[in-house]
Amino acid sequence: MPTNVVMEALSPTMEEGRLVEWKKQEGDAVAVGDVLAEVETDKAVMELVARAAGTLLKHIVEAGATVPVSEPVAVIGSPGDDTGEGGKRGGGEAGAGQRGSGASGEKDRGAAGQRDSKESQGTQPSPGQSRPVSMPPAPPAGAATEHRPSPESPSGSKDNGVKSDSPAPARDQQAEPRVKASPLARRIAAERGVNLVGITGSGPEGRVVARDLEGVAAKAQSSTAPPPSRPAAQPYTDVPLSQIRKTIARRLAQSIGPVPTFYLTTEVDMERIWEARQAQLALSGAKGAVGKLESGEGGRDVSVSFNDITIKAVALALRQHPACNAWWQDDRIRYWNEVHVSMAVAIEEGLITPVIRHADQKTLREIAAESRDLAGRARERRLKPEEYTGGTFSVSNLGMLDIDEFTAIINPPEAAILAVGRIGQKAVGHEDAVVLRRRMRLTMSCDHRVIDGATGAQFLKTLKGMLENPLTLVW
Amino acid sequence: MSTRLLVQDLGHRGYGEVLELQRSLCRQRIAGQITDDILLLVEHEPVVTLGRGTRAGSLPSSPAELERRGVGVFEVERGGDVTFHGPGQLVGYPIIDLRRHREDLHWYLRRLEAGLVGALRLLGIEAGTRSGLTGVWTGGRKLASIGIHVKQWVTFHGFALNVNTDLSYFDLMIPCGIRDVVMTSVSRELGRDDQGGLWEETRHAVIAGMADALQLQPVEETPPQQFAKPVAFGEATGFSPYHGRFDPTPLA
Repeated sequence: MPTNVVMEALSPTMEEGRLVEWKKQEGDAVAVGDVLAEVETDKAVMELVARAAGTLLKHIVEAGATVPVSEPVAVIGSPGDDTGEGGKRGGGEAGAGQRGSGASGEKDRGAAGQRDSKESQGTQPSPGQSRPVSMPPAPPAGAATEHRPSPESPSGSKDNGVKSDSPAPARDQQAEPRVKASPLARRIAAERGVNLVGITGSGPEGRVVARDLEGVAAKAQSSTAPPPSRPAAQPYTDVPLSQIRKTIARRLAQSIGPVPTFYLTTEVDMERIWEARQAQLALSGAKGAVGKLESGEGGRDVSVSFNDITIKAVALALRQHPACNAWWQDDRIRYWNEVHVSMAVAIEEGLITPVIRHADQKTLREIAAESRDLAGRARERRLKPEEYTGGTFSVSNLGMLDIDEFTAIINPPEAAILAVGRIGQKAVGHEDAVVLRRRMRLTMSCDHRVIDGATGAQFLKTLKGMLENPLTLVW
Repeated sequence: MSTRLLVQDLGHRGYGEVLELQRSLCRQRIAGQITDDILLLVEHEPVVTLGRGTRAGSLPSSPAELERRGVGVFEVERGGDVTFHGPGQLVGYPIIDLRRHREDLHWYLRRLEAGLVGALRLLGIEAGTRSGLTGVWTGGRKLASIGIHVKQWVTFHGFALNVNTDLSYFDLMIPCGIRDVVMTSVSRELGRDDQGGLWEETRHAVIAGMADALQLQPVEETPPQQFAKPVAFGEATGFSPYHGRFDPTPLA
């Protein structure tokens, strides 16, 4: 059972503390009494000590964050535990406002807190109705096709309108390079926007100390006060990584690194689907009232897109090929009996994969309505975590951007992702003649630890057959 | 239960070795090998220390400039921003078990301030505190700085009171991160510079003030066996110009 570590009141009058430095990293074993972190309040630094034993599963806040008393800062539990609810959170409200005024300086613990003053949300698979009893660990998020949005913070006050971070399971942590640096060096680096990676530390074991930042610091300072004769025209703009960017980077690297991926491409003839869809459009156009009634969506007509059709076909094909509807779980493969299709949606800061649950059991119209709703709320960053986690297979479509074909990166722990290209007319051989046909290319990226070449190929063949014979989607 | 405050005047000692001594005493206190509260008093060679609250711009001086003035630099585990220690400054490191007093960091910080204010009153200086600016002030000028570290409720680091410090050293930095702060000293406030006498008077006043603030009986001792010698470990090599390599990893 995971236990939250909270910011302790080191004094009855203490309202918040700045987490100076983590002494235990995610994944570290922790015994009761171990020092987890240093906390600074006023002019005093005190150590935050573990009250529970186990593994430090997650840092909820990053070093430098200012955290109100009794807010959680970390989670201790067993390695398999779901760290669920709380995502990483920056407490740094204090830093920003007071910074300019010198006299308020002592209380103000500075900018470090600002770095992370974003609300975020952890991920947890939906506690959905018909899921197996043993919940999987939160599907690590943020791979190629995933990104988590910032759900509205309940209070609405702290949310700067951004971010999130992935509460990745402990085993994922080694993927993140950790720079040994003193808290001061980290702070100076953060304030100056200096990346500690690549700086040679002169402290013990290469630890980066403040001195090592001097050259860098000097540059940063001179740039803040450019000589008037030479207007500062920077040839570049440095943008610190947002949490989502960090998460995407880490997750993608993690995916392409350890996941032995192979790719299968096929081309699907879309003529009949095209015709079917044209007919359906004509029908709903001519009989709008009927369409509205049928849609059951509060009178909103829903037209079925090619993407919806593809999702439906994928879901039905997965039913026939459960070997492709699976999660890689390190020590086992989890074959899902349910089909939850993640669909990649581009949003302003990245991408996210809302999930159409039980897509195999839904009608095209239902899928269309749901995907439209999910995509819309994804762009407004109003998805709940359970709406973008727990998918069993992903579909990424760049056809609307005129991409002929591409390879997508698998969204672990899922074992495969389908990249959908544009539908375009091509001269092809058809019934002993060269004719123009509408064609669409599909490329499936497969985790070879789960799916073998023939397995993936059989799935694709089924999928192709379904798309070329749209009646199979109805039957 | 002992209510003694063992006062150990270390005299003139390097920052690094006394830092190690403090860490060692703190460890011993946690382990129960020491049962008395202790106040170390010391006068350091010139050194700049960077606390955990140090902001990037607080030490604008270049290493070369610091070296030219013979000032070492340490990154340490205490709270607060940058500060200076050096000749003419009375530095106090109380190794106090707060479980015997109150498990309350703010209470302890306020006690340190009260002890210094009491000491200064004995010297004839009306000093006080400023809300949100831990330390001791008189007429808007800063006389003493405070920064502590607490491990399992045992304190170390402490306070630094300018007696007749060469205040120009503070120009090397933005002391405590407070821009435009004016540092002052007992000597300057009293208009006295009879070095030896003033130092002794201040020392006695501080011992009395601290003991009073912490409700302890001061006992001045020659070094008891247990901390007669600093316990050296790690890379503690005492004073050296720009001691950036000093790893502030606290007690293991």
